[in-house]
Amino acid sequence: MELDRAMRIAAAGMDTQSSRLRVVAENLANRDTTSEVAGGDPFRRKTVTFANRFDRALGANTVRVSRVGTTKGDFPMRHDPNHPAANAQGYVKTPNVNSTIETMDMREAQRSYSANLSVLEVSRGMLTRTIEAMR
Amino acid sequence: MDPTKTGPIALAEQRLRWTEARQRVLAQNISNADTPNYRPSDMQPFAKVLSGKLTEKQMVATNANHLQGTRQQDGRTLKERISASRDPSGNAVSLEREALRVADTDSAHATALSVRRRYMSMFMTALGRNQS
Repeated sequence: MELDRAMRIAAAGMDTQSSRLRVVAENLANRDTTSEVAGGDPFRRKTVTFANRFDRALGANTVRVSRVGTTKGDFPMRHDPNHPAANAQGYVKTPNVNSTIETMDMREAQRSYSANLSVLEVSRGMLTRTIEAMR
Repeated sequence: MDPTKTGPIALAEQRLRWTEARQRVLAQNISNADTPNYRPSDMQPFAKVLSGKLTEKQMVATNANHLQGTRQQDGRTLKERISASRDPSGNAVSLEREALRVADTDSAHATALSVRRRYMSMFMTALGRNQS
């Protein structure tokens, strides 16, 4: 049934947006996680990629998380010779997490989540009305 | 005369089917609002569907051993032309536009349903069963 499918597609969208939010939470929670060994790499920022897949059971294209990867790039260095992770020159590698970017990502996830939620509500309303028409 | 095969009731039911299918297409667009390189699609306008110009070509069984075609009548969706509002990721979904379409579809569905209910109650009156 079409409305049922619409609801499932919206639910899949909400599901992926919440996984994205989970990755954002992981990044923000680890924004100060440095290495334990001297000169080692700290936490690397994670990214999430979406893809549109055909769901055979549903007979429709739903959105799924295709890959959780990490961002490349250099780590910002901080001069802190007393830190356990400091290298020979006294510099510590800090995670490449930018809290502004993460906050932006979080807002976008929230916005998309509520858009999907609205679709779910509208579809449910349409379904309820249709069922009521049988009375 | 079967009231559900002709006239306003049949029309309302066709419209209902169309709005339900459109709702599915719009749900797909919105759930892919952050998918890279995704292009939104929409249903063909209802007037065009009604005019019957969009009938799908079906395969003809000319032999008793032929199987029936299993293609769904789903070829009525229309990929949107690339609009100016594309994300850097190549996504072309505008949530505002889709929300407007969802609202549009919702009210069209409500209208078609009430038309159907109204005509059904007329038949009920003719049958002498209209108590409420």
